[in-house]
Amino acid sequence: MNPIITNSTNEPAVILRSVAKRFGAVQAVRELDLEVQRGALVGLLGPNGAGKSTAIRMIMSLIRQDSGELRVLGGDALDAKDRIGYLPEERGLYRRMRVGEFLIYLGRLKGLPRQGLSARVESWLERIELPGVFRSRCQELSKGMQQKVQFIGAVLHEPDLIVLDEPFSGLDPVNARILISTVQDLHRQGRTIFLSTHQMAQAEQLCERVVLINRGEKILDSTTREVTQRFSPRAVEIEPLAGIQATRSALEAIPGIESVKAAEDGRTAVLLVNERTDPHAVMSLALATVPCRRIEIARVSLDDVFVRLVTEHGGHARQPVRGAA
Amino acid sequence: MTIAIREFRHTVLTKGFIFGAILFPLLMFVVIGVMPFLLSNDQVPVRGTVVVADSDGSVARAIEIAFARFQTKTETGIGSSTAAINDALAKSQRGDVAALDALSDITTTVEVTVRRMSIDDDLAGTRDQVQSGELLALVEVPATLLESDPPADADVSLLVPSNSPAKTTALFARIARKATVVARVERTGTDLAKATALVREPQAQTARLTSTGTKAKENLELRFMIPGGFMMLMWIAAFTSANQLLTTTIEEKSSKVIEVLLSATSPLELLAGKILGQGFVSLLMLSTYGAAGIAGLAFLTMLDIVPLLSLILFFLWFLLAYFMVASIMAAVGSAVSDLREAQSLVQPAMIVMMIPLLLWLPISENPTGWLATITSFVPPIGPFVMVLRTTGAVEPIPLWQIGLALAVNGFSTIALVWIASRVFRIGVLMQGKPPTPMELLRWARTR
Repeated sequence: MNPIITNSTNEPAVILRSVAKRFGAVQAVRELDLEVQRGALVGLLGPNGAGKSTAIRMIMSLIRQDSGELRVLGGDALDAKDRIGYLPEERGLYRRMRVGEFLIYLGRLKGLPRQGLSARVESWLERIELPGVFRSRCQELSKGMQQKVQFIGAVLHEPDLIVLDEPFSGLDPVNARILISTVQDLHRQGRTIFLSTHQMAQAEQLCERVVLINRGEKILDSTTREVTQRFSPRAVEIEPLAGIQATRSALEAIPGIESVKAAEDGRTAVLLVNERTDPHAVMSLALATVPCRRIEIARVSLDDVFVRLVTEHGGHARQPVRGAA
Repeated sequence: MTIAIREFRHTVLTKGFIFGAILFPLLMFVVIGVMPFLLSNDQVPVRGTVVVADSDGSVARAIEIAFARFQTKTETGIGSSTAAINDALAKSQRGDVAALDALSDITTTVEVTVRRMSIDDDLAGTRDQVQSGELLALVEVPATLLESDPPADADVSLLVPSNSPAKTTALFARIARKATVVARVERTGTDLAKATALVREPQAQTARLTSTGTKAKENLELRFMIPGGFMMLMWIAAFTSANQLLTTTIEEKSSKVIEVLLSATSPLELLAGKILGQGFVSLLMLSTYGAAGIAGLAFLTMLDIVPLLSLILFFLWFLLAYFMVASIMAAVGSAVSDLREAQSLVQPAMIVMMIPLLLWLPISENPTGWLATITSFVPPIGPFVMVLRTTGAVEPIPLWQIGLALAVNGFSTIALVWIASRVFRIGVLMQGKPPTPMELLRWARTR
C-alpha cells in the first residue's frame, strides 16, 4: 500500500488505498484500490450488494473505513463538503417542505449565499424540465420528479466532484435521458463525476472508465474502450444471402476461422476467429467468398462483461444483514 | 445556524404549535382578565317572594334580615367595589358569617320579600305557586330543628321552581340553613355574635427562624405551588421540544433525507443545529407560558414572590435540563427507525425523568434537606430539583451547592451531548433492528 502524501491540484479527486469495511459478519468492501482523476467520468459497477454504496459512503465520509487510506479532493470529504455534490442511493426529502424552500435550504447548507439562490434554483428547475414546481410541496411530486429535485440538490452549488449513487434507477427513459444529458454537460464543464450503477447500458453510454466490484472486491478497473477490446469475443457475425446450410463449408475454409456457430434460425452464424488472425481480415475474406446480407465484427457489451466477470468471481454478492451497505 | 433556523421555523409555523404554545396561553390570559367582567355581568337578579314556614316565625325573621342586607348593599352600590370584596373577606375571616354570605353573591341584585307561614298550615297551595313560578321558594323548617338538641336526621326543606338558577337556589339554601341556626341560638338566649367570636379559630401566623436568626415569612401554598409551577413549566417545555427532536430525527431518517443532509454538513453540526433549533422552540414556549404566569402574578400584585435572581437561575437550570433531555432524545431518534422502536429505548430515560415530579412535594417541603441536596447533584434530574429548591426555599440555598450543582450538571450536559453526537453519527445511517443499550455504548466508543 503506497501512502498518499501529496495534496496538489494534480492529485486525483478520489483516492482509495486498500480500503476495507466490515459490518458484523459481512465484509462489505475488501482491500479496495481506486483512483478517480480530476475531470474524469468514472462508473462504479457491480451487482446489488456488491459494496458500491458502502464505498461511496466511505468516500463521502458518511461512514469510516476499518482500514486503508482514503482521500477526497486532497483531504477528508468532511473538509470539502461544499465542493462535493452527492446524490445518495436512498432518496429522501422533507415531504411537507416546498421544492424551492428545500433546494434553497440545501444550497445554504452547501455555503451558497442567500442572494440569488432562488433564481439559481428556478434556473435549475427549468434546465431539468421541472418548471412550475418551485412552490409545490415535495410530496405532491411523482417519484421521478422527486429524484430530479434531489439531483438538483446535488449539483446546485456547482461542485468540483459529483458523486451519484444509482442516479438513473427508477427513472423512465425520458427522464433518464434528461439526467444523462445533464451529467454529460457537467462533465464537459470539467467537473469530476463518479457514479455507481448496475445499469450497464447507461454506464457504457456515459463513462470513460469503469470499475467493477463484486463481493466488496475490485474485479475490473479500465477504460470503457479497453474493456470492450479486452473482452471482445474475436468473432464475426454473418448473414449469408443463401443461408448458413448452403455456405457453411465455404466459411469453414476461410483461413483463421476456428469454427462456425449457426444460430437456431439457420440464417445467421458467428465465425470464431483464432488469436493469430485479425477479425477484420476474416471479415474481408468472408465477404469475398460468400455474398452477404449483413456482416460485422461481434461487439461485447458491458452487460456481457459484467455477467461474465461476476460469474467467474463467484456470483452475486450477499445482501448485508444489517448496516449501511 | 441554517439547520437551527429550519428546525425552528418548521416546528413553530405549524397549526398545532401556534395553538398550543402561543394562542392557548394568550387565550388563558384573556379568559383570566375577562372572567370577572363576565361574571359581574352575567348575574340573574333575584326578585320576588320567598315563603318561610316555621313553628314560631323566628327563622322567617332571620331570613328577612339576611335578604334585607343584600338590598342595602345593592342600593349603596357595594356590589361593584373591589374594596367591598376585600372587606367581606376580612370580615369572614373574623367570623362574620353574614359577610361571607354576602361575598358569594356580591354583585347580584337581590330584592326578596319574605312571607311567613306556620309549618302546621296547609302548604299544598303554596307548593303549587312555587311550581308555577309565582314564588321564588318555599322554606319549611320543622319545629324539632329549633330545639336545643335537634335530631340528627332533621333537615330544612327548600322547594324552588324547576327553572330556578343554581346560584339563586344555593343562596336560598345557605341563608335558610344559617337562619335556622340563628333562630335556634336566639331561642337559647345566647348572643350569637359572642358565641361566634368564642368558637372562632385564630389564624396561625407562621414564620421560619432562619440560621441567621431572622424571621422569614411562611406561605405554605406559595411554597408548594410556585416551585412546582416553575418545575412543571420547565419539564413541559424541555420535553415537548425534546420529543419533537426525537420525532423529526426519526422522520428524517425514515424519509432518507438524513443522508442528503450529512453530505452537506457533519453529524455534529446537524445534531447541534437540531438541538439549537428545538431549543429556540422550547424557549419560545417557556416565554409565552412564563409571560402569562408573570402577568397573572402582576395582576394579583404578587410579583415580588419571584425575585429576578430566581428567574436567572431558572433560565440556567432550564438550559442544562433541555440540553440533557434533548441529547438523550436525539441519540434515541437517530438509532431507531420508528416511534414504536423509540418507546423501548426512551422508557428507561422517561422513568428517571419522572423522579422530579415524584419528589416535588418532599423537596418543596424541605428544600435544604438531605434529599434535596443529594438529588441536586444527580444528572439528569439535578436541574429540575434545583428549580424546586431555588424558587421554593425560604432560607437561601448555600452558594456552594448552587455552584456545585451547576458544575456537575454542566459537565454531565457536555458529556451527554458528546455521547449523543457519537451515537447520532452512527445511528442515523443504520437501518434494521433497533440497537440494544450495549450497542449504543459501543457506538459511543467507536472512533
